[in-house]
Amino acid sequence: MIILEVTGLTKNFGGLAAVSNIDMKVNGGEVLGLIGPNGAGKTTFFNLITGVIRPTKGQVVYKGKDITGKKPHEIAEMGIGRTFQLNPLFPNFTILQNVLSSFQLRPRSTLLGTFFNTRVYRNNEAYILEQSLEILKLVGLDKVKDEMAQNQPHGYQKMLGVARALAIKPELLLLDEPIAGMNPDEIDNTIEAIKRTSHLGVTIILVEHNMKILEICNRVIVINFGQKIVEGLPQEIKENPEVIRAYLGSGHDTKH
Amino acid sequence: MGLMITVRDTASRRKNYIQIIICGILICFLAIVPLLTNSPYNLHIFILTLIYIIAAASMRFIMTSGQIPLAHGAFLGLGAYVSGILSKHFGISSWLTLLVAALVAMGVGTFISFPFARLKAFYYSMISLFFGVGMLQTIESFGKLTGGITGITGIPTLFHTASKVPFYYCFLALMLISLFILYRLEVSRIGWNLKAIEQSYLVAGSVGISVVQHRVLAVAIGCFFAGLAGGMYATYNVTISPSSFDMAATLWLIIYVTIGGMGNFAGPIIGTLVLFLLPQYYSGLKQYTPFISAAILFAVLYTFRDGLVSVPGLVVSFYKKRKKGRSKS
Repeated sequence: MIILEVTGLTKNFGGLAAVSNIDMKVNGGEVLGLIGPNGAGKTTFFNLITGVIRPTKGQVVYKGKDITGKKPHEIAEMGIGRTFQLNPLFPNFTILQNVLSSFQLRPRSTLLGTFFNTRVYRNNEAYILEQSLEILKLVGLDKVKDEMAQNQPHGYQKMLGVARALAIKPELLLLDEPIAGMNPDEIDNTIEAIKRTSHLGVTIILVEHNMKILEICNRVIVINFGQKIVEGLPQEIKENPEVIRAYLGSGHDTKH
Repeated sequence: MGLMITVRDTASRRKNYIQIIICGILICFLAIVPLLTNSPYNLHIFILTLIYIIAAASMRFIMTSGQIPLAHGAFLGLGAYVSGILSKHFGISSWLTLLVAALVAMGVGTFISFPFARLKAFYYSMISLFFGVGMLQTIESFGKLTGGITGITGIPTLFHTASKVPFYYCFLALMLISLFILYRLEVSRIGWNLKAIEQSYLVAGSVGISVVQHRVLAVAIGCFFAGLAGGMYATYNVTISPSSFDMAATLWLIIYVTIGGMGNFAGPIIGTLVLFLLPQYYSGLKQYTPFISAAILFAVLYTFRDGLVSVPGLVVSFYKKRKKGRSKS
């Protein structure tokens, strides 16, 4: 089953094509890696899918519905969660409050119910609390749940980003550089958590330029200068000369 | 009750009892003020304090969403003028005009915030600044209806008695209801969503919080209570003039909120009590009020960054630390 289909997606910032004419299909349940050097357009690609910026051209279809140009909260409502590379959290909330306040969608309370503190609202909040604790356990943050988010080490903050994204019960999860800036221990933990999430049946698209992430991907797409250059299995990608050139430059070409 | 209260531990539950007791004592005190004093001047000051507390609390409600309403004084004026004009020129009951004033302010607030809610919160501050100035100019130039610079006099009042006591109790009730509504909204999911948007609107959007909707909602609710406070001012004071609602009025409100502490619901209440109520009683120093207030503002912001509300907490943690230090040595 194809969960997300992107056709001819293009974004120009002035004369610069940050993303140009990308086509891709994402199958339900897979872990898709999107790799490429710095500035290749990976984060822009995420922002285009989640509605933070509008594409210049092209179409994004999620589960058969056209979601091009919809607002971020509408896209979240349809089940696409995401994390951010930078400022991934609400710094002045505790870890638990971060996750609690990310539960917006299911179950939903009405304005009047919220105000009059009806039984439905209280039941909703109790359910949300239970679910939040479960999510924190899943990503391994349950021990620090009452700590301020801004005082946490970088790795925890990144994991909190994932926990927050899981709170919307996504079917498709977009992770923007989940292991950037982490130490080897944290990387192992994060990769474990991503695997666990994937086993829950969530489709995952990862953006990274750290090649270590390849070990959990079913399929990898490499982009550079906003264009898709290769698509294939992780093993093929590692040995592909074009990919090596994108990352290491084309030293042997300059000889001629 | 609210979202976060479900996860309270016992320590904060005890703290909550203390808060309830303090609130109870304050309300009891406010309830017997007319019995303690006979002087109409004292009651006059207290009535104005009640009105300014509503205004400051409603301003803070907008601020929790990260937007700074630089037209809040003008919205007070809008409420006052709507209420004044309707009851004087159209003979509508003063009670009804209070509600209409609040609703008009809410409508106008929504109207100006809507186009800017999708931008950074900073742009709302800018447009509200221009709007506030523009509205006063408009009021001044509609001479016949608004009385121009001199304003409106002879607005019908709520109670046709010489005594100020009925006003006092009526406004006390209105203030308590307003504060209750604002508090309930703040501790509910809506309030937490506003705080989330203030911290990061990108993240808030990504978890399904509608940023535009919440920002407009915050402004609408804040302006509703600003309009109500303005209407109360008009029906109480009988005379209104544009100069009471200029930029200085907004700045005073901002100062009340910051001195009290923006991060806490009690902040604007304490700020108004300290900076509005107290200066009325420095006998003979009244002409220096701005300087004294500025000195207090500097002193508070320099020593307690989170406002006067944070003082008890700081004292408690200071003693706890000392105790710990002693038990260690």
